[in-house]
Amino acid sequence: MPDGSALQGVRVVELVEGLAGAYCGKLLAGLGADVLKVEPPSGDSLRRAGPFPEDHPNPEASGLFLHLNPAKRSVTLAIETETGRRLLGRLLDTADVLVHDLAPGRARAIGLDDASLRNERPSLVAAAVTFFGSTGPYADFAGTEIVAQALSGYMSLTGDPDREPLKPYGYLAEYQAGLHAAVAVMAAVLARDATDEGDLADVSVTEAACFALGGPPQLAWWFDRTLKRNGTRLIGVGGRHPYPSTLRPCADGWVHAHSNNRNPELLAALVGDQWLASPEVLDAMTDRADEIDAVVDRWLADKTKWQAVAAAQEMRLPFTEVLTPAELLEDREGHLRSRGELVEVEHPVAGTVTQLGPPVHLGAGAWVSDRAPLLGEHTADVLCGTLGLTHDDLLRLRQAGVV
Amino acid sequence: MRKPLEGVRVVDLTHVVAGPVASFTLGDLGAEVIKVEPPYRAAPAVATPPVAGAPDRPHNRVPLFNELNRSKLGIALDLSSGPGRDLLLRLVAVSDVVMENFSSRVLGNLRLEYEDLRAARPDIILVSMPAFGRSGPYRDRTAHGPGIDAMSGLSHLTGYGDGRPGKPGNFFCDYNAGLLAALATMAAVRHRRRTGEGQHVECAMLEGELQILGDALMDVTMNGRVRQPLGNRHPWMAPHGVYPCAGEDRWVALACRSDAEFAALCDVIERPELAHDPRYAALPARYRNQDALDALIGAWTRHRDEYEAMDALQRAGVAAGAVLDVGQLHADPQHVARRFFVPVAHPETGPAPLPRVAFRFARMSAEPERPAPCFAQHTDYVLRELLGMADAEVRELEQSGAVARDPRGSQEEGREVARK
Repeated sequence: MPDGSALQGVRVVELVEGLAGAYCGKLLAGLGADVLKVEPPSGDSLRRAGPFPEDHPNPEASGLFLHLNPAKRSVTLAIETETGRRLLGRLLDTADVLVHDLAPGRARAIGLDDASLRNERPSLVAAAVTFFGSTGPYADFAGTEIVAQALSGYMSLTGDPDREPLKPYGYLAEYQAGLHAAVAVMAAVLARDATDEGDLADVSVTEAACFALGGPPQLAWWFDRTLKRNGTRLIGVGGRHPYPSTLRPCADGWVHAHSNNRNPELLAALVGDQWLASPEVLDAMTDRADEIDAVVDRWLADKTKWQAVAAAQEMRLPFTEVLTPAELLEDREGHLRSRGELVEVEHPVAGTVTQLGPPVHLGAGAWVSDRAPLLGEHTADVLCGTLGLTHDDLLRLRQAGVV
Repeated sequence: MRKPLEGVRVVDLTHVVAGPVASFTLGDLGAEVIKVEPPYRAAPAVATPPVAGAPDRPHNRVPLFNELNRSKLGIALDLSSGPGRDLLLRLVAVSDVVMENFSSRVLGNLRLEYEDLRAARPDIILVSMPAFGRSGPYRDRTAHGPGIDAMSGLSHLTGYGDGRPGKPGNFFCDYNAGLLAALATMAAVRHRRRTGEGQHVECAMLEGELQILGDALMDVTMNGRVRQPLGNRHPWMAPHGVYPCAGEDRWVALACRSDAEFAALCDVIERPELAHDPRYAALPARYRNQDALDALIGAWTRHRDEYEAMDALQRAGVAAGAVLDVGQLHADPQHVARRFFVPVAHPETGPAPLPRVAFRFARMSAEPERPAPCFAQHTDYVLRELLGMADAEVRELEQSGAVARDPRGSQEEGREVARK
C-alpha cells in the first residue's frame, strides 16, 4: 500500500453483485482503501460475464471482473446462512465503510438497511446502490441497465431523430452510479473523520443517468420545449450556434468534426472554402448544418482520420478520430502509455492482463492498480488474521459450505 | 442539515461544462465554492436564451449557466491584469482548493501555475481538468466532450449496428469527468488532512471515460476482437430493447434476464404459448429469433401507453421502464417521490428545479440550496469579509478594472481577453 494514499487504513466491505457497486469499490481501492470483496462461495456473478481469454469461460479470468476488481481482496461468505451473516457482522465490526447493492427488502431482512445500521453501527459509512433507490414507487421494480437508461431520459437523447431511442454502449448508467456512490462515500468519510458519525447514502442508478443529461430537463421546464435525440449533433442548439459538432465519414473511417467556437471562421481556412466564412453562413451555422456537412465531407473524402485530425488540430480546431477499441489500445503516438494508462499485470490464471491505469492522476499518493483477486484468495488471511479464527474453524466453515 | 464538506473553500476557475459540474458537486456537498468569472460572462457551452425577466441583466437568467453554477458564490476578476492576479493569489492564500479546466497554455500565460499558487499557499490543492492530460503527445490537443467520446471508443461502440458511430446523450464525458474530479478533490483534501501536504491533481477527461469501456478493451487484449455496436440488444439477454407504444415517439424498454422472466412476459402480453414454443422457450433459441419475437412483443405494446406497459410488466416481475423524454421527467412519480429535482429559488428567475446528485444521505444533506450567483454578486463578501479589504482598496481595484461589478463589453471582447 503506497504511503499516504487518501484512503490508506480505511477498510471497505463490498457486498455487491452488480457492476455499479463493484466500480465504486474499484475507485475506493484505487485511492488506497483496503477493499474486502465478499463473494458467495460460488463466486461473484460478474465472474461469469465475459470476455474470457480465447472465449473459454473461467471464473478467474473474466475480463469484466478483472477490470472492475483491481487491488481488492476476496473473501467468500455464504451470507444466506446464519453463520455467514455472523461472520459478516464481525467483518463489519472491523470496517469503516460498507458498499452493498441489496434490494431494499433484502437489506432489511439481513439488518443492513438504514434503520438497523443507524442503531447498531452509528459510525459506519455505507452506500446502498440500487436501480431506482430504496424509496418511492419504483423501489421494488426489477431493474437492468436499459431500464434505468429509459426511465432516466437518457435514451430519448441518444440515436437518430427518425428512429427508436438508442441505448449507448455498455453500462453507462451503472458506471455513473458507482461514481456517485464513491463520491458519497468519500464525502461521508471526510465528515466522519471530524465527527466519528457515519451515514448511509441511498444511490440510484436511474438518477445517476438522469444527472448526466446535461441541461435538457431544465430547458423543458423553462421553455416548454422537449429536446430529443439529434443523431450525432449537439442537442439544444440552433441558429447562430457554431457548427459543426458531429461525426463525419472520411477515407478510412470517421472523425468527430467540431468548430473552434471562439473562431468559427477557422473552418473555412481548414477546408479551403471561403463560403464557410461568409456572413450568411457564420450567422446561421447550426441552421445550415446539412450544407456545412456536405462541404466538410468533400474535404474529408480523400483523407484518413489521422490526416484530417492532424490538420485540424494544427489550426486549433478540436477534431478527433473516431477510434475503435483496438485503435485506442494501439495508441499510435504512445500517449496513453506515456501516461501510465495501460498497465500490464501478471495474473496467476489469466496470465498477462492489460489493465487501465488511473482514471485520475494524483500528485501525491499513488493510484493503486494491482491485479484482481482469485475467488476467496484472502478468506484465510481475513478470517484467521483479522477475525482471529483458527484453521480448524476455517476447515469447519469450508465443510459447512459457509466459505 | 449538516453537509459533509463544510469548512472546505474552493476557488473555481472552471468554465464550460465538466469543470462546473465538479465544482457544483462539491458545493452541493457543502464546500464554499467561489466562482471566479472573467469580467464578462462567458456563454455556457450551449447558448440558450435567457428566461423571461427584467429587460436588463439577461446574463443572470440563462438556465444552463444557473444549473451548472448553483451552490457557488461569484466574483468577476480580470486575471490578466496585475492587480487581478494579485487578488486571486490573496484568495488562494485563504482557500483549500483551486480548480481549473483552461486549455493547456492558459495557466502558464497567466503565471498561475501550481508553483505560483504554492507560493501563496504551500499546501494548496490544484485540480486541473485537461482533455488529454498535461503530459504526453496529445497534451496540446484541444477537444470537447463529444470529441473525447470519439477517441475513447464510446462513439464506435454506440450505434444501431449499421456501420455508423453514435453519440451518447449530450455531454456524457463532461459529467463523468466532473464527478471524477470531485472525487479526486475530496481525496486530496483527505490526504492533506492526514499529511499536511497539498498536491496538483490532474483529471484528464479521456482517461476518466476509458473506465466505462473496460470490457470492450479486454476483448481486444484477450481475443483480438473489436466489438461492434449492438443497437439496443444485449450480449446475452433476450428479449432486450425498446418497443413502440401508443402515441408518437413513445416507447417502453424491457429486458428478460431468464427463461422464467420470459415466461412471465408471455403471460403479460397474452401469448402464454410462446413460453413453450421451441423458437423462444430457451435463451439460445430466443436470442436467434429476436426479430420475430420483437414483432410479437411490439404487437402488444403498441396499444398501450408507455407507463401502462411498464406497470403491467413490472407487476409480473419483468424489468421494464417507460422511455421518458426530458419533458416527462419532472412529473415522473419516482422523481417526485424522491425529490430528484430540487426547486431552488433564484433572485432574478424565480425557482428552478435542479437535478441533484444521485444519492441522498440518511443524516447529512447533499441537496443544492444556493442558486447560481448573479454576476459579481459576492464581490463584497470576498473582498471585505474574506480578505478584510477597506473601502479605499476595493474602490481602487474597481477603478483599475481588476474587479468588475457588471459584465464589461461584448462576448467578442471577452473572446479577445480569453485568447491573450
